[in-house]
Amino acid sequence: MSRRELPLADRLAALREAVEVAEGRLDVPEVGRARQLLAKAGARQALGDATVVALAGATGSGKSTLFNALSGSEVSTPGVRRPTTGVAHATVWASLDHPDGADGLLDWLEVPRRHRHAPEPALDGLVLLDLPDHDSVRLEHRLEVDRLVELVDVLVWVLDPEKYADAAVHDRYLRPLAGHSGTLLVVLNQVDRLDDAAAAACLADLRRLLDDEGLVDTELLAVSARTGDGLPGLRTRLAGRVAARRAAAERLTADVRGAATALAAHCGSSARTSEADRAQLTRALGDAAGVPSVVSAVERSTVRAGTAQTGWPVVRWLGKLRSDPLGRLHLGAAASRSSLPEAGAVQQAAVATAVRQARDTAGAGLPVAWTDDLRRTVEVHADRLAGQLDSAVTGTDLGSGRTPLWQRGVGAVQWLLVAAALAGAGWLLGLVVLGWLQLDDVVPLPRVEGLPVPTVLLVLGLLAGALLALVCRPLVAVRARRRARRARKRLDTAVAEVGRAEVLDPLAETGTDHDRFCAALTRARS
Amino acid sequence: MTPRSPADDRTPPDLAGAVHQLRDRVAAVPLVLATPGRDDAVRTARAVVDQVDDYLLPRLRDLDAPLLTVVGGSTGAGKSTLVNSLLGAQVTTPGVLRPTTRSPVLVCAPADRAAFADDRVLPGLARTTGGSAGPGSVQLVVSDRLPPGLALVDAPDVDSVVEANRDLAGQLLSAADLWVFVTTASRYADAVPWDLLRTAADRGTALAVVLDRGPADAAAEVSADLAGMLQRAGLAQARLVVIEERPLVDGRLPEDQVVGLRSWLHGLAADAGARAEVVRQTLAGALASLDDRVATVTAAVQEQTAAATALRSATDAAYAQARDDVDDGVRSGTLLRGEVLARWQEFVGTGEWMRNLQAGIGRLRDRVTAALTGRQTPADDLQIALESSVEHLLRSAADTAAERTVTAWRSLPGGGLLVAGRERELATVTPGFPAAAADTVRGWQGTVLDLVRGEGAGKRSRARLLSWGVNGAGAVVMIAVFAQTAGLSGAEVAVAGGTTVVGQKVLEAVFGDSAIRQLADRARADLDGRAEALLHVEQRRFDELLSGTATDADAAGLRQAVIELARVRGS
Repeated sequence: MSRRELPLADRLAALREAVEVAEGRLDVPEVGRARQLLAKAGARQALGDATVVALAGATGSGKSTLFNALSGSEVSTPGVRRPTTGVAHATVWASLDHPDGADGLLDWLEVPRRHRHAPEPALDGLVLLDLPDHDSVRLEHRLEVDRLVELVDVLVWVLDPEKYADAAVHDRYLRPLAGHSGTLLVVLNQVDRLDDAAAAACLADLRRLLDDEGLVDTELLAVSARTGDGLPGLRTRLAGRVAARRAAAERLTADVRGAATALAAHCGSSARTSEADRAQLTRALGDAAGVPSVVSAVERSTVRAGTAQTGWPVVRWLGKLRSDPLGRLHLGAAASRSSLPEAGAVQQAAVATAVRQARDTAGAGLPVAWTDDLRRTVEVHADRLAGQLDSAVTGTDLGSGRTPLWQRGVGAVQWLLVAAALAGAGWLLGLVVLGWLQLDDVVPLPRVEGLPVPTVLLVLGLLAGALLALVCRPLVAVRARRRARRARKRLDTAVAEVGRAEVLDPLAETGTDHDRFCAALTRARS
Repeated sequence: MTPRSPADDRTPPDLAGAVHQLRDRVAAVPLVLATPGRDDAVRTARAVVDQVDDYLLPRLRDLDAPLLTVVGGSTGAGKSTLVNSLLGAQVTTPGVLRPTTRSPVLVCAPADRAAFADDRVLPGLARTTGGSAGPGSVQLVVSDRLPPGLALVDAPDVDSVVEANRDLAGQLLSAADLWVFVTTASRYADAVPWDLLRTAADRGTALAVVLDRGPADAAAEVSADLAGMLQRAGLAQARLVVIEERPLVDGRLPEDQVVGLRSWLHGLAADAGARAEVVRQTLAGALASLDDRVATVTAAVQEQTAAATALRSATDAAYAQARDDVDDGVRSGTLLRGEVLARWQEFVGTGEWMRNLQAGIGRLRDRVTAALTGRQTPADDLQIALESSVEHLLRSAADTAAERTVTAWRSLPGGGLLVAGRERELATVTPGFPAAAADTVRGWQGTVLDLVRGEGAGKRSRARLLSWGVNGAGAVVMIAVFAQTAGLSGAEVAVAGGTTVVGQKVLEAVFGDSAIRQLADRARADLDGRAEALLHVEQRRFDELLSGTATDADAAGLRQAVIELARVRGS
């Protein structure tokens, strides 16, 4: 192939990354299969680069005869009774320097019956297997074939003119191996039973069947194990694969591609949650967390404090009879639970709807396996929401409760005015006493604009106090609103942070994982 | 024309009726859910219907009709060559390309032509007289080399890579009075043909096995092995014929290899008694096999019914939970109290006044604020808030129910396929839901007003008087507070709230505590009813997916038809 191939190790690493991302997230069988493939690849790679070639075929197709013809001796006994081969046989072409190099490999393949072939340079490193029949009445034969077909490096399917169009071989093995066309070789055995024209027609028909199954790249050879026709060609093909020492890697590459393609069915396009979703989520979470109650309590509490400071001292003590609305909520300590009312069914419903909306936007382009994961993710996190929201609200700094300077000033002035009024009243009281003692002319009564000073003190002190309280009211209210607004902003930020941490981030994380998963698969399939 | 055997005389005329009824019931069974046993059952049901149409009914109607002998077997076993050799003439084309025989060839004697030209047997297959016309038709060849009373069918391969061929072969075999099963020395242990041979054993079909291409040196060993296998499969009475592999003569098997089989077949054609025996054996076996096969279908129907019930109850549970959620939301919250009270105040007419008063104070406050801050404060519309609260509740409950249903269905047998590809659409509310929910809430509010009106008709003036009193007192206090705080504290709200509480007390005083509770209960029941109707519409799309699934009646019908058949056969 002219195009540069990604090394198998990189492919396997990419598949491993995809599997690691998918595990715990995707509940699909493909993940388990890919995991098995990774285990198999690790085991196979550790066992060297010998080439395992298996002869597979139907009962009576002449596998054993072909196996013996290739092995050059009667290793496998062909028989007239059916089914014949029950367990796999192996012939090993061991090189002189590694006389038992293939033992580990055959142990791994669980093939106990082994035969050692005399060293033959061209086929050094070849392990030839004779598989049991795949279509016999014996189920265990079929299972053994299925197991070994998964493990070997090169599969030689031995067909014969009588059975070459059996559904058993085409539907069960060849069609599913369409992705492995490079590691397959199809052999039409027993061509000696046909005349030339019939053999050509038969080969053409088989070629057509293979092409229809997506096995265009698979080579098709006509051989006769009995007469030896075509055997040198088959031997050359095998020698080529053995010499290249790439058969194991090619088989694994095809496997990785297949597993990655199967997993890639779970790829879509991830999306981010929209601004509208986030705003709706924050609003719903805020309502559920009791943010409106807190904000209103802040406003009322500030008004109460301001009134206590700037109000008319004659009546302002009345306000203190009411408890502080903010204090009642027990928001002070972040660690303890507040006394905010629990979120009602309506608030919870709104949160559920908002979370669902955000989830659906995030999963709009994702396949079902991922949307399932999104659902599980937010379900887990939504359970913790209530506690998180409460500590977010209690932990929020609602703005300084310090009395502003101007309010202190007004308070001082109020007290001064009260003092003035009291002084005026005391003075007038003194005048009354002096009058009673007939001494009012002794002490001169200062006048301002013709009005006696004590009267002015008393009346102005009271009037100015009430007026000052009245003037300060709107200012107090303005401050209260500003503070409430600030508190609202801070609470919203805190609540939005909870929403981000508990809902949006997990959603985004799933999206990121999905993108990583798909990128890894694209690499594994490239 | 031929004397009947005693067995035939006992066949009552309504046996065909009973078989027909069973066939109709089996054909009508809906197997729509993808349960584990579905594919098997569908195949079995089709096989039963085909066999009744192709074989049982024609045979029951005419026990003396010619013997239909089907030559079947594996691809490449040499069926066509065998048929040609038996006839001593080229009627069908053998070849090296597989599958060879793509449409079956029916060969009969000129005297029997009428018996096969119409659709008495194999009514599903069109007759052609020319060349091969593909699956779905049968080529009719009249040959005077065949004695009357015998017809040969060259069937397609039972294990061909072409699926239509396999199905047709199965159909032909089930239509046969006699199978001539052709296999070869190299494939007599293949799994697929043995599945069919076991079927033949189960159905008691009359059978002859031809071992073709027996190797000259090992024919005895192979045939002994095959005979042993037949015996173990319960087919000991099957006739085993071995044909050795020899060069073909004129494209036909050497005469000495086929003469035995031919003379046996011709003997059957000539001997009415032997023929009747073959017919009787196959017919009795086919009838007896119906029990088991219909039992398979019945089991699948029951499985379907159980699966449908499980799916239905998953849906029911999800939507029942949704109704409970709505009910809980209405019951626990202040929704109901708020709604009834609002309607009451509206009805008594004092609500308006209170609202105006509160709004007046609010407006004054807003004006002062606006003058100082240059900002308008938006007024909350309580009514809208209330409406959207109930809508939220309904929406969330319906969404959750839909999602739960889809999740449950995907884990239940047969459910996954029903929602496959539509998960996203089905796991949320229907597109019309928001509008329907808004309608529901408005309708409910109207009903609450009617309820209050009906309840309070006689007590209206007294209630109004009391309300005026309460509200008046409230207003006095509020104005006092307003004056004291210059209308800028939250106190007036508290007073208004207090008045509302007192208002409720008045309500209770006028109606009595139990009456007001009743009122609230009825309002709740009404909302529950409406929510139920709304959710029912939502649930319907899931129920519709399940419509047409098998019911217990289907299974009962099948069982009853089987009993009826057994009764007719036994009588």
